[in-house]
Amino acid sequence: MNGKDLASLLATATCALLGTSSPARAEGEKPWSLDTALLLYKESDSRVQDVSAAIGATRRFADDRVLGLNLTADTLTGASPSGAIALDRPQTFTSPSGKATYTTVGGRIPLDDTFKDTRFAGSASWTQPMGRLYTVSGGLSASYEYDYRHFGANASLSRDFDRRNRTVSLSAAWSKDDIDPVGGPPLPLSQMLDVGATGNKAGSKSKDVLDAVLSVAQVVGHDTVVRFNYAYSRSSGYLNDPYKILSVVDPVTGDTSTRTPAATGGPDGVYVFESRPDSRTKQSFYGEVKHDFDGRVLTASYRYMSDDWGIGSHTVDARFRWPLGGGYVEPHARWYTQTAADFYRVSLVRGQALPQYASADFRLGEFDAVTLGLKYGHPLASGNEWSVRLEGYQQTGSVPSGQLIGNQARRDVTPDLTAVFLQFGYRFGL
Amino acid sequence: MTASSTSLRRTDDHWVGGFTAMACPCEVLVDDCTEAEAAAIVQLASQEAWRVERKFSRYRHDSVVHEINASDGRGIDVDEETARLLDFGAQLTRASEGAFDLTSGVLRKAWTFDGGNAVPAPETVTALLAHVGWHRVRWERPRLTLEPGMQIDFGGIGKEYAVDRALQLVAQSHPGVGVVVNFGGDLAIGGHRRADRAWRVGIESASAAGRAARTVALDAGALATSGDSRRFVVKDGTRYSHILDARTGWPVKDAPRSVTVHAGTCTEAGTWSTLASLKGAQARQLLEGSGKTFWLQ
Repeated sequence: MNGKDLASLLATATCALLGTSSPARAEGEKPWSLDTALLLYKESDSRVQDVSAAIGATRRFADDRVLGLNLTADTLTGASPSGAIALDRPQTFTSPSGKATYTTVGGRIPLDDTFKDTRFAGSASWTQPMGRLYTVSGGLSASYEYDYRHFGANASLSRDFDRRNRTVSLSAAWSKDDIDPVGGPPLPLSQMLDVGATGNKAGSKSKDVLDAVLSVAQVVGHDTVVRFNYAYSRSSGYLNDPYKILSVVDPVTGDTSTRTPAATGGPDGVYVFESRPDSRTKQSFYGEVKHDFDGRVLTASYRYMSDDWGIGSHTVDARFRWPLGGGYVEPHARWYTQTAADFYRVSLVRGQALPQYASADFRLGEFDAVTLGLKYGHPLASGNEWSVRLEGYQQTGSVPSGQLIGNQARRDVTPDLTAVFLQFGYRFGL
Repeated sequence: MTASSTSLRRTDDHWVGGFTAMACPCEVLVDDCTEAEAAAIVQLASQEAWRVERKFSRYRHDSVVHEINASDGRGIDVDEETARLLDFGAQLTRASEGAFDLTSGVLRKAWTFDGGNAVPAPETVTALLAHVGWHRVRWERPRLTLEPGMQIDFGGIGKEYAVDRALQLVAQSHPGVGVVVNFGGDLAIGGHRRADRAWRVGIESASAAGRAARTVALDAGALATSGDSRRFVVKDGTRYSHILDARTGWPVKDAPRSVTVHAGTCTEAGTWSTLASLKGAQARQLLEGSGKTFWLQ
């Protein structure tokens, strides 16, 4: 009997004796673990509403090799602020497609309600040990929307030190996104034109993003893990939001300059499309502490981010999980604040030279945000687990008073935001 | 320590449970947890060791093996667990081309491996060989029929089997907890240690019983050792190992004094170390073809 036949005979005989199907796997452990989630996100004032379904699958193989797969489908509907300022009168805009107009009510921040999207995203990753102390992983990701396509690749290498009490990892990711907005991407700072006019629209655009993260995780004693990350990210290419505009206003009243649209229809004011730099470099530092208080686990983290657009942000996040009635509850609190980008403007002034870069997108302005939430998770005897999570989000923006002209000072200029998340999750083995 | 009591003590980062079973000192190491959980795990492992010992000991009158050995030519219907062990023994006989045999126990009437110098007369061994050999056995599940004068003995596989069984029971009721089940040097590791530490386990020295020749760091799998540190005879300057070749009735020549193998389960490790010992001088060659990690002394 040769060595291979002998090995297989002995392995088979041993499994038959011990009643195990595979000697490599512990009894009762299922090879696939599936995480499913349904997320409902709803902003107040019938703004954006998102319904998203996600499924994540993890397959464990012998020798700690792991395959991960993820699929997500999203549907977004609702309206979002276009960047134009509120006026006392209604305002008419050409829709992004360039084929129609829409009119917003006076006294409120104009919302573009042509916003609607369906997104599909998928990713796959492979992780495996290399030698005794190293772990390598690699992955691919892609997503598709009718006006946006993403493709990305990533890789990471980690090494254990100090009897596996410390793990240092370095990861890098690259992605290429193609942007093909409805009606074509507008030229930066070009004026919004009448219906049917396409003189300010260009062909499709793209951007590249490169990310690198250096991470150190350290086990401290029996019940504490701390982690530090340094992340670097560089985007280049088309970084504008093709649907965002700025109002061009009278230097005294602060109201939008009027124009007379063509017979076919068009904007009744002067609006220009935003212009952002074609590169952005971000750096962030992140620290996290996880501590086990005899079965109750606190996870607290802080992140500082800064970029060359002038945005700086602080994030403080804490969640505390404690066992309750066969399951666990996990309250969550998060506080976020950011400064505005250097080129953030509420509006542009008629008669003044146009700046090179300008955006009225409130996401690039100064704001604070608070998230409060509660999760309940319930593991079942089978090892499966269901969970439900409810969170509320409140965002409050502010604009330096020096930027407000005339009537703007008495109107609402920053669109505050209130949103609710509700998520159902179920994890099971297969 | 009495035959059915266990002890439990704490070291800096794990618990050590101790008891005696199958004529061996047994140890159960449990990674950091509460004393109650550690005690429950040691209890579970020791109960299983004693159960296997009671059921398969050839010295106890209430054991299955005793019933079979006293059958005097009658067929005996055995339970599922015994049937699985008989099937397993038959496979080992096949794998070793007859060198390993569950019926070779009667040869002990001629051989006493106590470190002394009693070597039997060749004709005594030849006479006993008439009662040895799986080919003389009728095994039709669940009925086993031995010829009068034959005996079976699970001594070659029982201890490793008990280790795996005990570990299975612990893993079922305390999933994930890092545990080492060590019955007289044959051991298996279950669960995961906190902070990913490995266990340090000793491989017994071939020349000095009870002393570790070396320690190895392991985080999974099992070790089994086949050797003659305690059981051998010396006659006219020749050291006879206690590993008997069932085909000749004589100890295997030039066998390593100790063979330790690492495998997924203790039973599998034990079969490789036993088969390697039976190969004598070719032990290393067999193990090199096995793909397993091994240590020879």
